[in-house]
Amino acid sequence: MEPLLERMCIDAATESADAVDKWRRQRRTLQRMPSHLAEALLRRLLQRRLLYPSLLEVFKYTVEDVDLSGESFVDAEWMAYLGAFHYLNSLILADCHKINNAALWYITGMPTLKEMDLSRCSKITDAGIQHLLSLPALEKLRISETGVTADGVIILASLSHLLLLDLGGLPVTDSALNSLQTLTKLQGLDLWGSEVSNESVTTLKMFRNLSFLNLAWTKVTMLPYLPSLTCLNMSRCTISSLFEGEGQKPRLEKVNFSGATIHNTSEAFKYVETSRLSLLDISNSALQSYSFLSSMNAMTNLDLSDSGLVDDGSVEHIARIGATLKKLNLSDTKVSVEGINALAGNVPNLETLLLSGTPIDDTAIHFLSMMPALKVINLSRTHVKGLMQLGGAHDEVPSFSALESLSHLETLDLELLHIKDLALRPLANMSRLSHLTLRSVSLTNESLYHISSAKKLVHLGLRDTVVTDTGLEAFAPPPALEILDLRGCWLLSKEFVSRFCQMHPQLEVRHDLFETLYKRKEHSTPSRATTRTPKGKNKQGSSSAPPQYFVVDQRLKYSREELLSLRISLSLSLVPFLNGPTK
Amino acid sequence: MKKEDTVMLISAEGFEFVIDKKAAMVSQTIRNMLTSPGGFSETEHGKVTFPEISTTILEKICQYFYWSLQYASGKETEFHIEPELTLELMMAANYLHT
Repeated sequence: MEPLLERMCIDAATESADAVDKWRRQRRTLQRMPSHLAEALLRRLLQRRLLYPSLLEVFKYTVEDVDLSGESFVDAEWMAYLGAFHYLNSLILADCHKINNAALWYITGMPTLKEMDLSRCSKITDAGIQHLLSLPALEKLRISETGVTADGVIILASLSHLLLLDLGGLPVTDSALNSLQTLTKLQGLDLWGSEVSNESVTTLKMFRNLSFLNLAWTKVTMLPYLPSLTCLNMSRCTISSLFEGEGQKPRLEKVNFSGATIHNTSEAFKYVETSRLSLLDISNSALQSYSFLSSMNAMTNLDLSDSGLVDDGSVEHIARIGATLKKLNLSDTKVSVEGINALAGNVPNLETLLLSGTPIDDTAIHFLSMMPALKVINLSRTHVKGLMQLGGAHDEVPSFSALESLSHLETLDLELLHIKDLALRPLANMSRLSHLTLRSVSLTNESLYHISSAKKLVHLGLRDTVVTDTGLEAFAPPPALEILDLRGCWLLSKEFVSRFCQMHPQLEVRHDLFETLYKRKEHSTPSRATTRTPKGKNKQGSSSAPPQYFVVDQRLKYSREELLSLRISLSLSLVPFLNGPTK
Repeated sequence: MKKEDTVMLISAEGFEFVIDKKAAMVSQTIRNMLTSPGGFSETEHGKVTFPEISTTILEKICQYFYWSLQYASGKETEFHIEPELTLELMMAANYLHT
C-alpha cells in the first residue's frame, strides 16, 4: 500500500473537477511523474468519474497500463487520446460496449502495446481484427465473446509474438485453429464454446510452450500429448482419452472437469502425471469410481460437489490424499456422518470444508472438531439441528460446542437449518468467528442475545428470522460488526430499523425496507469510500488502525434525510456526465 | 534544543529547514539516511539536501511530518493540501516514502 501522504495527495488531487483544473496545466510536473503514481492518479480519477477524454492527454508520457474495463462511456474519442500515449503497454477495454472497429483504428501500429483486452466488446468484428494486426509487439490478446468470426481468427496467424490468446465464445472452426499453427510461442489458449473438434486438436502440438488450455463446452473428446501443459479446462466435454500415444505424461497442476462426462476414469487419467495436481474440479460430473484420487498427493483444492455418486465410499479415497488438502467441496453429495468420520484426523491442513446440502446431522460436528486448521465451514441445508440429546437424559446440549476447539474458525454458514436459539449459545466462545450466516424462521430475539457476545464478528446474516423490534433495540452489535443482513425479517418495522441504523452509523444494515437506499446511494454519490473499487474488495472501512482522515465514509457525515436530498441534487449535477463527457 | 535532536533539510533553492529528528523520521527514506551505519555524511552532520524538492513543497513536507506525529498520538485534525501542490507533493512523498 502506498504511504499515507501519497494517498492523501491523490485524494486531494481528485477531490473535485475544480481541483483537477488547478493541476492539469502543470505539464512539466506531469511529464516527469513516475508511472505508478500517474497510474494511481488515473485510476482514482476514473473511479471518481472525473476522467474525460481530453484529460487523458496529461498522462500521455507517463502512463503504461490503462484499465477501462466495464466503462460503458468509453468510445472512439477516448481511443484517439489513448492512441497518442507514448509508452502504452497494456490496454484493458473489456466490457466497453461503445468500442467498435473504427475506434481501434486510433491504436494501429502502436509499437509498445503488448496487451489488449477487448472481451465482450460485441461491436468488434473481423474488420477490427485488421487494425490489431499492425501491433508489432502484441503478446496478449483477449477477444472472447466479440463479433469476430472464424475468418477473423484465421488472420490472427500473423501475430507471431502472441503468448496468450483468448478466443472464448467465438465460432472458431477446425480449419481456423489449423491456420493458427504459426503462433508457436503460445503459452495460453482459450477456446471455450468454440466449434473445434478432435479433427484439429493435433494442431495444439505445434504450441510447444502451451501451459494453459481451455476447451470447455467443445466437442473435443481427446487430446494429444502437450508437454508443457499445466492448466486444463475441459468442463462440459465428453472425455475419452488424454495425451495418449507418446508414453510421456504432462505434469498437470490445475484441472477443471466440472460437468464433464468421463466414461472410463482410469483410461482417461492413464497418461496424466497427477503427482503435481493441486486443483481438481470434477463437480457435477458422473463418475463411477473415485479411486484415481488416491495417487494425487499434491492436491490442495478438490471440488466434488453436485454429484449424486459421491458417497462415503469415495471419501475414503479423499482421506488418503488428505494431508495436503486445504479446500474440499462436498456440497450436494451423498456424504454422510460416516464419511466425515473417515476424513477426521486425515486432513490436518484442511481450511475450507463445504458440506451444504449433504445428509449429515449433529453427530458430524464432533468429527469436524478434529480438523484443526478449519477456517470456513458450510453446513447449510443439512440435517444439523444444533442440539443433541446426551444419553438418555432429556437435556439438550448445543452441538456447536464441539467447534469451540477450532481456534482458526472464521466463517460459519448455518443457513436453512432447523435450529433453535439455544443452539447458538456456543458462538460466544468462538474467538475468531468473523462471518456468520443464519437463515431460519425458528430463530428469535434470543439468538441476537447469544450472537452479541461473539466479539470478532464482522458480517452477520440473520435472514428470514422472527427477530422483533424489541429484540433489535436491545441488541448490542459486536464492536467489529460491519454488515448486518436482516432481509426477510418481516416482523421488524421500518421505524425501528431506521432508528437502529442511526444509533449504529458504522453498520451497513440490509433490510427489505432499507436496502434500496444503500444501493442507489452507492451509484449516485461520488463519495470516497463508497464509489466502486474495481480491484478486490473495498476494505477501507475494515483496515486495522484506519487513518481517519482518508477513510471517512461520507455516509457517516450526514443524516439519512440529508443524504436523500444530496442524492437528488447530485443525480441532477451528474446528468451531463451520463449523457457523455462534454470536453 | 540539542543539536543532535534536530536535523536540517535543505531544499533545491538552498532554503534550510531545521526540524526535530523525530519528525523527520516519519519519512522512511530520511530514517534510512540518518540511521544506516554506512557513514553517510547525512548521518554525521544531520543535514540532508534535496535537489529535487522545491522550498514550497519541502515546507509542506515538514508540516506533514509534525501533523503525522500528532495524528499518530491520536489527535485527529485535517491536513489540508492545496490542489496546486498535489502533484509535486505526491512525487516528493513517493521519494521520501512517507
